[in-house]
Amino acid sequence: MPRIFHAFAIALLIGSAVYVYKIKYDTMGLRYEVVRLEKQIAQERDLIALLKAEWQKLNSPERIQMLSDANLDLVPLTVSQIIRWQDVPDRQAPVDSIADKLGALGLIDHSSSSKSPDITGSVKKKD
Amino acid sequence: MARSFPPDDPFRLSATRPPRAEKKPRPSWPVRVWRALFSMRIDKSRPRLVIVMLAFMSVFGAISYKLVHYANQPEEVAQHHFPVTEIAKARPDIIDRNGVVLATDVKTVSLFAEPKRIIDKDEAVELITAVLPDVNARELREKFASKKGFVWIKREITPKEREEIYRLGLPGIGFQPESKRIYPNGTAAAHILGYSSIDNTGIAGIEKYIDTEGLAALANAGLASDATKLAPVRLSVDIRVQHALRDELAKGIDRYKAKAGGGMVIDVTTGEVIALASLPDFDPNNPKDALDPDKINRVVVGTYEMGSTFKALTTAMALDSGKINITSTLDARSDLRYGKYTIGDFHPTHRILTVPEVFIHSSNIGTAKMALAVGVEGHRAFLKKMGQLDRLQTELPESAEPQVQKYWNELTTVTVAYGHGLAVAPIQAVMAVSALVNGGHLFPPTFLPRSADDALAISKTVIKPDTSEAMRYIMRLNASNKLGTAGKADIEGYFVGGKTGTADKSIHGHYDGKRVFTTFMGIAPADKPRYLFMVILDEPQAVQGTYGYQTAGWNAGPVTGAVIERVAPFLDMPKRFEPPVAPFPTMVKLGAWGTK
Repeated sequence: MPRIFHAFAIALLIGSAVYVYKIKYDTMGLRYEVVRLEKQIAQERDLIALLKAEWQKLNSPERIQMLSDANLDLVPLTVSQIIRWQDVPDRQAPVDSIADKLGALGLIDHSSSSKSPDITGSVKKKD
Repeated sequence: MARSFPPDDPFRLSATRPPRAEKKPRPSWPVRVWRALFSMRIDKSRPRLVIVMLAFMSVFGAISYKLVHYANQPEEVAQHHFPVTEIAKARPDIIDRNGVVLATDVKTVSLFAEPKRIIDKDEAVELITAVLPDVNARELREKFASKKGFVWIKREITPKEREEIYRLGLPGIGFQPESKRIYPNGTAAAHILGYSSIDNTGIAGIEKYIDTEGLAALANAGLASDATKLAPVRLSVDIRVQHALRDELAKGIDRYKAKAGGGMVIDVTTGEVIALASLPDFDPNNPKDALDPDKINRVVVGTYEMGSTFKALTTAMALDSGKINITSTLDARSDLRYGKYTIGDFHPTHRILTVPEVFIHSSNIGTAKMALAVGVEGHRAFLKKMGQLDRLQTELPESAEPQVQKYWNELTTVTVAYGHGLAVAPIQAVMAVSALVNGGHLFPPTFLPRSADDALAISKTVIKPDTSEAMRYIMRLNASNKLGTAGKADIEGYFVGGKTGTADKSIHGHYDGKRVFTTFMGIAPADKPRYLFMVILDEPQAVQGTYGYQTAGWNAGPVTGAVIERVAPFLDMPKRFEPPVAPFPTMVKLGAWGTK
């Protein structure tokens, strides 16, 4: 009986020692990982700062204006271009010029076609 | 006793010891203690066991205590082995009112050496200068020969250079990551931001302000080496407006062949500077550029005789004193004479004028008479109250002392009334005119965000609300009436008011009629002003389209108009399609000139 107890105690001792070492090395590994990640975070952060600076440099009003002047036909907004919603003219009544022409040639019934100009092309059933 | 022990058994009990032991004489006490300590007899070993036990317990206790102690200790921070002052410290980002980056830090690497650790100095110099041709070999050799523990070889090297130096594998040569200040918008807000040195210390502008506001203290404590811990500094500036102002100003200077110019957009309800430009300017990314004296911030550091824009102050003073009211008349039929000086009008009317007429015709005689009605002392006291006689200090470290005449007599009052004989910084005049139109609340301009309530809390009431309405009325009249001089800035839909100013420049003590300094102050909308726009031009010329005039109404005025038209859509000021209903009720009630 005491022998089994001794053997068990020794096994437990070795086991716990192994376990402690495992924890120790795992911790060391994690510690390296933390340092590595912190370094990576710092690098990414620096890179973000650099990209932000570059983004703003590319978007600086001076540069945009230069590019716009060189490549676009846009002109600066004038005050007269700012108008109220109610000042926007109503949409003009749509004109079906083809139907009008056809009507003038007597090919279709002019009055009916111009009344319903929104009808799109379709094949009518013959009687 | 049944059991018997061999005679030399150490475990036998003393009682069974042969009696011959008793015959021995009792040993002295040290011997007894010695024997007791090393005695192997089990019956006497109890105290010894206790001692051993206690010893082990105390040793293990101490170890456990230390373990717990270390576990609770905060993690040790890796120590820099450089003195903090040697490395470029991190600076907080500067952002505009909408969060656009105006200044930021990026990481670069600098090359340093520890001369004591370099083995072959000549070889090191040779190899380094081969990679970095712009490093002077002789200077480098001197640096390496010095007794210093640390010398910079080159600041802010490129990644490629770093790679090449790294490959040389020289001992005693190292890299130090540093922060480099970048101003991505270039010249746009140069005079506001200022710039910083290679050690990332603020030298001018807001950069210097940030340092004086505690960053320097943080850096000395070694806490400011990480920009991520620093909150960005938000300014009241809007970079879009800033760029537009600078651009229009540059166009104006070009068009009117002026030497220099300046401009400002300020929120008159809060004192927030939305934009401030001075040309010629510099690129803060290249600080050497800023040292040219021609590139000073004219709006803040320059002092100028503001000319007729000062008439706004005189008129407000006269109206507020009660000695003159909006319907008073002033005789402008003949010139004023003071000894050898004659004060006349640029556009003589030769008749009796009402106060609004004096303002829109910009009559020197009429304005001088208003100032004389208040008196020399009253005039001085009013200008003092409006902050025109003392240095105005904003967040910007730069400022200028106004040039005030030492002896103030009646002639001084007459000339200062129309803006000659007193030179102030344009930002000072802007502060005063803001107070005249915002209901009479004077507060210093700021480059940091401020709410209207905060502005009111620190404000000083300088004129009555009715006087302020009168000022808004005559400034509006100056733009809307065809006789006024501010018509070129009257942008449709924004109800602009304004005052022009053309001052003859004083060259070596006498005025030169050919060289002028023109100013324009525009307010919008005039019935309830939100923004004040200022443009100054130094020595604009009469060019094609100005009919031979070089006065402010023909150069600073149109430039201000262009600025308003361009920036108004960015500002918190919607275009109005109907003119405001009864914008100046008191003026109508009093029957002021021009209300009918």
